Amino acid sequence: MAVSRVTLQTPAGVCGLFRRQLLQPSLSHPTILSTRSIYGEYKRPGQPPDKRWPWEKIRFDFSKGVEGIQKHFGLLKDEFVGRLRGPEGRPLLDHMLEQTLVQWEFRGPESLDQWVVSSDKEIGGQSEAYLKLGKNNTTCMLYGTLCSVPPRDGETRYSGYCTLRSKQTLLSFDRKRHFDWSTFNTLYIRFRGDGRPWMINISAEMYFSHNKNDIYSYFLYTRGGPYWQEVKIPFSKFFLSSRGRIQDDQHCLWLDKVCWTNSSAKSHSRKEYHFENIANLRM
Amino acid sequence: MPAILYFMFYASLGLGTSLTFLSSHWLTAWMGLELTTLAILPLMAQHHHPRASEATTKYLLVQASATGMLLFATILNGWVEMSWSINEMKNPYALTLAMSALALKLGLAPFHLWLPEVMQGLDLLTGLILSTWQKLAPFALLMQISQAMPPTLLTILGLSSATLAAWGGLNQTQLRKIMAYSSTAHLGWSVIILQFSPGLALMALGIYIMMTMAAFLTMKDMSSTKISTFSTSWSKSPEKMVAMILILLSLGGLPPMTGFTIKWLVLEELTKQDMYTPATLIVMAALISLYFYARLSYFTIISLFPGTTSIKTYWRQKNIKDKLILPIATTATLFLLPLMPLTLALTYFYN
Repeated sequence: MAVSRVTLQTPAGVCGLFRRQLLQPSLSHPTILSTRSIYGEYKRPGQPPDKRWPWEKIRFDFSKGVEGIQKHFGLLKDEFVGRLRGPEGRPLLDHMLEQTLVQWEFRGPESLDQWVVSSDKEIGGQSEAYLKLGKNNTTCMLYGTLCSVPPRDGETRYSGYCTLRSKQTLLSFDRKRHFDWSTFNTLYIRFRGDGRPWMINISAEMYFSHNKNDIYSYFLYTRGGPYWQEVKIPFSKFFLSSRGRIQDDQHCLWLDKVCWTNSSAKSHSRKEYHFENIANLRM
Repeated sequence: MPAILYFMFYASLGLGTSLTFLSSHWLTAWMGLELTTLAILPLMAQHHHPRASEATTKYLLVQASATGMLLFATILNGWVEMSWSINEMKNPYALTLAMSALALKLGLAPFHLWLPEVMQGLDLLTGLILSTWQKLAPFALLMQISQAMPPTLLTILGLSSATLAAWGGLNQTQLRKIMAYSSTAHLGWSVIILQFSPGLALMALGIYIMMTMAAFLTMKDMSSTKISTFSTSWSKSPEKMVAMILILLSLGGLPPMTGFTIKWLVLEELTKQDMYTPATLIVMAALISLYFYARLSYFTIISLFPGTTSIKTYWRQKNIKDKLILPIATTATLFLLPLMPLTLALTYFYN
């Protein structure tokens, strides 16, 4: 609300301002008590806020409920059985002896389901991003068009990005599954780009809400040639940023609870791009 | 952190625990518990890492809830029984609530799930303090009210702690989480015998503290927090790793190490009390724990894992950081089984 400078210069004015805020709460819409205001969900710029109560978002379906119960209890049973085998369902000897772990690879249409492709089209931009399998179904191709024209919503000033992000895997009852990469020290990626620099981001599990946008990033420079490129990035090189801002207080990435990884690119003009990759993890 | 602050926090830790030990009134005991909780929080958060802050916050929430529950139980007892004395807690509802609160503070099952997550976010020295010193004050209170508590509840607490901790620690690769589950399991052994022989329970706690101290100090010297790092630490100090195998087997309760004392005497007491089923169940749970301790020992030094160097030992400078506490704790962990008759006599003295 608009406040004059004179009001803020006197203690009485400031107290009066707070008293007005307390005595006249905004009751026009229940944003104070909504989940969005508590957890700060993403609101697409230019769109009106979602003011529904949480129970208004529920769609009850009995058959889906039965399917859900079967699915979740099945996953729970697999977890119990996997626990007898070893950590993360693999024998401990494998965990101790392995030098390389192939975390993601593209071997068929079902491997594309592990990834989410997005671009600034979600916020009203004009970039496009698509994902398809490459030749022989052994690689994936991320391609599309980047356009840096910002959407006309009055809020967004910059635009023109695309991203390929791994989906958050879930355990039984929708618990997050974290990757334990603590025995590894390097991220290895085999790819073929178009000469554009990309950014590799890794997100670890955070507890506090003010850390939920914390991402560890590093750059990936592609050569653009017809030859495949292999890059090894030590995890110690990743720097901490939050909502795109590099943090002064840098911490190392804790590898025992990694949630997802993604690669993203940005352009300053309208250009086509393509990025073909196979992803590996190596120590 | 400046040394004066370290002194202040450690002194507060000692003061809080001593205050609880010396209390006969519930309010002063509660004050002592709160003092220890608040004193350790800056030590946990000193590294300013998000995981350390997370561990500190979780620890504060859990301990504050537990102490609040304890205070509620004592106020309930004071209102009903008209007594604030710790030894005169008779109201069954207050007793059950107090026992749940103390179980939450100690990390006994089924209130143990916070402990591995908190330990994982701490450095090894603070983890050691959390596993050892922070158990003393709540255990002292538990001992004082144990005689009035329903025996079945204590047995269930002990059995579930030993079993769930064994199951939980089975496939951990992080050493701090393994030690957290070890803490819960050993406290389970202490609690199950508390109703019959408080002295024996105290002895079990004391031996556990010695073994944990030896384990943590060795891990700190090796700067190891994962099994994989541990498996390649043999070249830093082969002697310490050989001792570490024996410390781990002592934690598992194998003779002829000191850790066998706990298993032996507790099982003997349980069988004397005709509690054959709980004795069988708890020893089966101990077998699962022994499995992962033995596996850890195997990976520590018996197997040679792929490393980056072909040299058998590192070129080591003289280690000027060696303290006397590690040899004392290691000796106590490995060689005190022959003194078992003496420790048993001391427990009878307490009873």
